[in-house]
Amino acid sequence: MSRRAPALALLSRYGFLAVFLGFFIFFATRSDAFLNTSNLVNILEGNAILLVAALGMTLVVASGGIDLSIGIAIDFGGWLAIVAMMDHDVAWPLAIVVGIAVGASVGVFNSFLVVWLGVSPFLATLGTFFIGGSIQQIYTSGGGQVPFREMPEGYQKLATGDTLGIPNEIIVGAIALMLFYVFLERSIHGKRIHAIGLQRSAASVAGINVRGYLWVAFIVASATASVGGIIATAGLRQFTPLAGFSYLLDAIAAVFIGASMHPQQRPNVPGTLVGVLFLGMVSNGLNLMGLDFNFRDALEGLILVGAIALAVSQRRVLGRSGASA
Amino acid sequence: MTNTADTKANALSMHNISKAFPGVQALDSASLAVAPQEIHGLVGENGAGKSTIIKVLAGIYQADRGSVWVDGAPLDQITPETVHERGVRFIHQELSLVPHFSVAESVFMAQEKRGMLGLDTRKMRRLSEAFLAETLGAEIDGRTLIRDLTVAQRKLVQIARALIDGQARLVVFDEPTAVLGATDINTLFGNIRRLRDTGISIVYVSHYLSEITEICDRVTVFRNGEDVGTIDLGGATAPPGPAPSDTDSAWSAANGAPRQGEIIKLMVGREITDMYPDRKPEAGETVLEVSGLSDGSRFSDVNFSVRTGEILGLTGIIGSGREALVDTIYGIRRTRRGSLTIDGAPVKLRSPAQAVRSGLVLVPRDRRNDGLVLDMSVGDNVNMATLDKVSSKLGWLMRAQARRQSDEFAEQLDVRPRRSATIVRFLSGGNQQKVVLARWLATESKVFVLDQPTTGVDVGARSEIYALIAQLATGGAGVIVSSNDLTEILGICDRVLVMVRGRIVAERPTSGLALDELVALTTSSAAATADQGAAIYGPEHRGGLEVGA
Amino acid sequence: MTTTVSARTPAGAAARRVLHFTISRGPLVVFAVLLIYLSLESEFFLEWRNIKSILRQSAPDAILASGLAVVVMAGGDDVVVGGIDISIPAAATLGVGLIADQLVGNTPLLWAYLLGAVAIFGVGAANAFLVVYVKLTPLLATLATLVASVGLYRWAIDNRRITVLGNGFVNEVRDGDFLGIPIPALIMLGTLVVVGGIAHRTRFGIRMQAVGGNRSAAEIAGLRPGRYLAASFILASFCGAVASIVLISRGSGLSPGIEERLLVDMVLATFVGAAFSPRRVVTVPGAVAGAILVKALGNGFQLIQVDLFKIGMIKGVLILVVVASSALVGKLRQ
Repeated sequence: MSRRAPALALLSRYGFLAVFLGFFIFFATRSDAFLNTSNLVNILEGNAILLVAALGMTLVVASGGIDLSIGIAIDFGGWLAIVAMMDHDVAWPLAIVVGIAVGASVGVFNSFLVVWLGVSPFLATLGTFFIGGSIQQIYTSGGGQVPFREMPEGYQKLATGDTLGIPNEIIVGAIALMLFYVFLERSIHGKRIHAIGLQRSAASVAGINVRGYLWVAFIVASATASVGGIIATAGLRQFTPLAGFSYLLDAIAAVFIGASMHPQQRPNVPGTLVGVLFLGMVSNGLNLMGLDFNFRDALEGLILVGAIALAVSQRRVLGRSGASA
Repeated sequence: MTNTADTKANALSMHNISKAFPGVQALDSASLAVAPQEIHGLVGENGAGKSTIIKVLAGIYQADRGSVWVDGAPLDQITPETVHERGVRFIHQELSLVPHFSVAESVFMAQEKRGMLGLDTRKMRRLSEAFLAETLGAEIDGRTLIRDLTVAQRKLVQIARALIDGQARLVVFDEPTAVLGATDINTLFGNIRRLRDTGISIVYVSHYLSEITEICDRVTVFRNGEDVGTIDLGGATAPPGPAPSDTDSAWSAANGAPRQGEIIKLMVGREITDMYPDRKPEAGETVLEVSGLSDGSRFSDVNFSVRTGEILGLTGIIGSGREALVDTIYGIRRTRRGSLTIDGAPVKLRSPAQAVRSGLVLVPRDRRNDGLVLDMSVGDNVNMATLDKVSSKLGWLMRAQARRQSDEFAEQLDVRPRRSATIVRFLSGGNQQKVVLARWLATESKVFVLDQPTTGVDVGARSEIYALIAQLATGGAGVIVSSNDLTEILGICDRVLVMVRGRIVAERPTSGLALDELVALTTSSAAATADQGAAIYGPEHRGGLEVGA
Repeated sequence: MTTTVSARTPAGAAARRVLHFTISRGPLVVFAVLLIYLSLESEFFLEWRNIKSILRQSAPDAILASGLAVVVMAGGDDVVVGGIDISIPAAATLGVGLIADQLVGNTPLLWAYLLGAVAIFGVGAANAFLVVYVKLTPLLATLATLVASVGLYRWAIDNRRITVLGNGFVNEVRDGDFLGIPIPALIMLGTLVVVGGIAHRTRFGIRMQAVGGNRSAAEIAGLRPGRYLAASFILASFCGAVASIVLISRGSGLSPGIEERLLVDMVLATFVGAAFSPRRVVTVPGAVAGAILVKALGNGFQLIQVDLFKIGMIKGVLILVVVASSALVGKLRQ
């Protein structure tokens, strides 16, 4: 990147943030409740699961792939944690470990297909998506909910409790955010994963264990997503089969919004956070404006289209248009 | 203003073409004039503007100023369509075919034949087969997919596509031999001469000066976006007729040498006298020992060793198994049989990661794909293999330390610009190569394998790379230089291994070894291997003075 | 010492060729075996009545998959950065919602369908704009329009089920036969002929494939990639519009949420279909065949009383068989 016109470079890099701020101010003027602390906390709390899932997605996209099966990892994590407690009387902390381990196994399956067989990540994880969905239907008689009324309080507190006055969901999200930030943006492993995502053969020739890191990326992504599933079951005191799917598209959108803010269009952890918060803020803000539920959905979609288009196109105008030439 | 009479008479006249990109004046009032029925060479270092002027002619770039005349008539609007209409055709270097298209579809791409109902596939197939057979002398089934063809056959398909409509007046060949073997080049040259004899003018862009002096009637040299001179090569041009033998043609570094010197002088604007460093080889202990190595297909039973402080050359034409050997030593390809020891300890290399850990590193031939992560910074690329050195035990990257390390090595190798945040994509070929070298210097490895180390490196920067290679050896490393550029091998190496058909057939000290003797060694039974060689993909290069790429 | 070099000896080469053949034809063999097995297990499976029902069921997927195939052909088959359009089913659903809403409100048939088509083409135009002018990756662009389309139809129809009853045309498309062939199957066939014909048998189509196969080559040849990309999204919305006609009949109106199932089945059919093409690339006939095959297998397994929920599993394994085989063939080719 060149150093000329730092102001333009800055604007191009933070163009999406301007869009973000614009919406923030708009909602603040439209609804008194929007700026309430409790509402802002609500936004954070309500999007913790999406954030966790999107972080996992960020890792996979950074390594050059995509994971359509994070919904499956979300489902399996929460489901198996509940089953462990319900049917096998496992203590709740251990049940969490079980949930994450099962979630991680989804990643193991993906890695097997992508790294070992050499299938493209999109199609491999699509296959996992079908198979995982089918397994859920088979064992829940076609997608019936699995309620767990006598859920241990400790487990339930994951989603409903506070620590030092901060909702636990936010704490879990913040911890995941910190860990991913350190791993992907500040550690040598992150550097290597970005190198693999950018140019796999060069990374390999440089002595980076490409296959090893791809395994790690898929497994860590699934394990992280399963944490989201665990929180979801804790909050609802039940497991809803196939619920994870609803996070897939938002997670992808958050990652790509984040990438559009990076100078090299790379997926990155802070960007993903902004993407998640943007999605969460818009949905919350429209809600507070008292709009009809269905109209809100429509508007949300249009805002997503417009915001992404705007962010990317102003980059193109302001940024070095001939950078790739 | 150039002579209007000439403009009228020329097959192609490009006058005072200027083209600027943000920050770069790619063409500065450059001109190019091609006479009718002439093979006109176009040479220049990287960034001299030759590919830009070709793209202007093709209508891919719009020139800021200047005019273009084809067959004595000006072109008002230059777009791919108008240029095509006037009979200008391009044989691009690569990337211009669709892998899963058939030969017939490729030949007729963007000029399809229509029948009663949509496309007339049968007619296209018949015409393409007939054209390939009659005009280019190649029997290829029109239904074969491009991805199943050899590289040489693909080149023929490209040529067929340019000529199939019979309207071609001027054909531009852009680096047509970059991936071809010796016999294929002769066939190609035969075809080019035949084209000229049917009245078509040719523009021949190449980095291989030996090819330029062999096939071109005249050559125009570009430097810094300008044309700095046109040389008449009439005397050196082989007359149309029977193709010269392999040894004479592809390896004719010696015979056109004086004219090549003249061209080089124009290209760099100064004379390059001592390209290669003076060094006194001081070979020490054996550091790498390869015995009985086979990969199961491309080479077998390879034995050799490298000592510390030694520069070992490895050469062989396309299909000799040289590239496969390099890849296998580095763990990119599987070993079937044989063993490898580094510093006396046997090592099993199944991946580059293991090779690097054992102290063996590779500067790959395809720098832009395999050598560098182009969209990462100089600093990141230099540190890529030694990230553990600049991090805590758990992997936390210490940025200041990382920066210091990359700056240290970038400075040692004089990488420019001297800014570790610069994205590597924007560096010149020579500086990119220095970044790769800097990365491996930081590893303090024992064995350095350099595959085609000066491909795409300007003449000026080449001597710097050679000096660095010499320094590596002086510093006590074992160095292997694998190259098809025989003058380079003779200039820099202490000892050379010659591969033919998957085996090492000769080992010679380079002092006192004459170029033509080395040529003879590498091309022994070359004809027999050429066909199989053509099937091997990847950018390979031949000897002769090759400048830039 | 003579080292035997496996790939060069005749026996080695032959063995390699056999392996290559087996792996590349693997998916077709698996499909054939499954179909034979099903027809042996259930006599009803190959009865015309059942085949008719398979054709009827597979029509929407096949039509949507034809559209996706066109986009993949024009954009290249790397799904993450190449051509993909995940908004087609959502756009079709938006169309269905509008048509159903109008029909219930007694709008004339033609106007209702026209309104639906306009909406669907609007989504296609938005995709083309975002991809060609804004230069978003197709995955992201169509993801955004997908979300917008779903939101729009939910809003337009209040996210409720709309039942269209007693409309002659709708019922005819649902239940009718022509010359003994179900009407949805005829519409599917018509789409195959029109869209497949454009994509594979016209100058435009082959140039579009050139753009997808090697964009820079197409550009150098004087083609304008943007036009072909944009056209592919418009063709895809044509398929979406045709699919909406079949979908409204099949569901006798609109059930919100159908777009999710349609999306995954469309993607599945398109990429499974690559196994049917001699060149192992995504094609329109392949996509149609893929859709029929997936539905036929689902139908067959249902007939032999395989748990309905296991059918998703079978689909997952199918796609993995196809893509793993093509990945392995790629490895062998090196």
